[in-house]
Amino acid sequence: MSLAAVMPPQVGQKPDPGMRPVISFHGVSKTYPNGTEAIRDVDLAIYQGDFCFVVGASGSGKTTLVRLLIREEVASTGRIFVDGQETTRMTRRRLPKLRRKFGIVFQDYKLLTKLTVAQNVAFALQVTKPGQRHLKEKVEETLWIVGLEDKLDTFPDELSGGEQQRVAIARALVHRPRIFLADEPTGNLDPDTSWGIVQLLLQINHRGTTVLMATHNREIVDLCRRRVIAIDSGRVVRDEVEGGYLREGEATI
Amino acid sequence: MRGLLASVRFALVAAGQNFTRNLAVSLAGVFTMGLIMLLVGGTLLLTHTVDAILAQQETQADEIHIYLQDSLSMRTIADYELRFSHDSRVNGVAFTSKDQAVVAAQQRGLQLQPAINTLGTNPLPASIDLHVRTLGDLSQLNTVAKALPIVDTSSGSATDYSPGVIPRLQSVITVTVWVGSALSVVLAVISLVIIMNTIRTAVYIRRTEIEIMKLVGAGDWFVRWPFILEGVFGGVLAAAIGATAVAVAYRFVLSQANTQAFLGVTFDGRYLTAMVLLLLAFGAVLGGFGSFLGVRRFLHA
Repeated sequence: MSLAAVMPPQVGQKPDPGMRPVISFHGVSKTYPNGTEAIRDVDLAIYQGDFCFVVGASGSGKTTLVRLLIREEVASTGRIFVDGQETTRMTRRRLPKLRRKFGIVFQDYKLLTKLTVAQNVAFALQVTKPGQRHLKEKVEETLWIVGLEDKLDTFPDELSGGEQQRVAIARALVHRPRIFLADEPTGNLDPDTSWGIVQLLLQINHRGTTVLMATHNREIVDLCRRRVIAIDSGRVVRDEVEGGYLREGEATI
Repeated sequence: MRGLLASVRFALVAAGQNFTRNLAVSLAGVFTMGLIMLLVGGTLLLTHTVDAILAQQETQADEIHIYLQDSLSMRTIADYELRFSHDSRVNGVAFTSKDQAVVAAQQRGLQLQPAINTLGTNPLPASIDLHVRTLGDLSQLNTVAKALPIVDTSSGSATDYSPGVIPRLQSVITVTVWVGSALSVVLAVISLVIIMNTIRTAVYIRRTEIEIMKLVGAGDWFVRWPFILEGVFGGVLAAAIGATAVAVAYRFVLSQANTQAFLGVTFDGRYLTAMVLLLLAFGAVLGGFGSFLGVRRFLHA
């Protein structure tokens, strides 16, 4: 089975001028109860089919940005829209529907060690779409996309870090989300394995899924030459359509 | 429908897994709650039994037995019966012979045969039994009866009139109800806290799973149901343990009370059944509500 058969149809990489963003931030700030200002006055627009790197040093606000998107955190001020819906004032009842628009992976994989690879992936469908038909086929298709079709009955502890992250990606992908969020997905991986994961994300994006990847992996960002949103001390300091980890000519130690 | 069935199946399986993965804590919680249910059930039964004794005493309250000397002729007794029947305060007069007194005592669970065999004679006196029109006349009639030459004073009491019994029993039952109710409320709160803490431990053990469920878009109730079912199961199990212990203790205590204290209280199977069902329902509600509260804080975190 080809990848095209199981992924959403590809949409244009460059947004039309009148196109509505799939994600937008309008003057968003987030201050934690202890007074820490994690995000300050952020304005952003991300379009369907974008592949964005969110870069910045540790503690710059990348993870807060991701958590605000899925409403794990609530913005202190400003408005956030996902797929045309304002999430900042969304009731708890509507959060599950919002979160089903996303596929999310983290640096620490968050796999259930007592379940097999196939069961981990199926778990996402069991809790979001109970009783779904052809569950087994959908799980197998998704594991084929991430290249783990031969690891169905393996337990996470028996896999390498890269393979575990692929399982996490499969779990995030199995319900066919519109937006894929990856928070430091290569943080625990060696360079070769990291590149494999990024290639998989590029492949997912190539078929039309919007991908937002928070990272501080300079090499990957420089190699991909995709949209780069740089955050420093909670502020968006740079937003380039095809950028590198650092601004042109910017020096680093 | 298919989705609903799958959700129910998921919740039941997860509830079972919660209980078994967390077995030591779950069982500790269940047995502690079982003990509490035993105390609640015991309090209910005690209140009911005291109530039954009081009701029995109240039905006998308008009656006074005048104990007679053994040497009296039937004619003398008949004369006094007639005299009492003409008294305006008396509603009814009856005679109980010595043999009838033995039968009545045996019906109340009193074993007299060994005493009769030892003494070689029936120790119980015959009596003239008066039913009064109003309870207020009992005291006056008692005074009149005690002064009669026919009464038997050998046992120390010429009649069975005991003026303080009813108010004393009423105060006993009032105290029992109040103490029982207060104790039940305190025990219910303790049960709730036990269930909440058991569920919090289960939530902690499954925190990664719950985090993933929330992230992929499972609704709050989907996350909550397995824990609520676990709480209901634990509560019902605890109630079953407590109710079984109460039922066994009830039979034993009742038989002891009747043979040792001659209370004459009958086994009330209907009340016991109702109490068991009430305890099971109480356990289920308490378990479910405790779980709801236990998982609530985590979901809203």
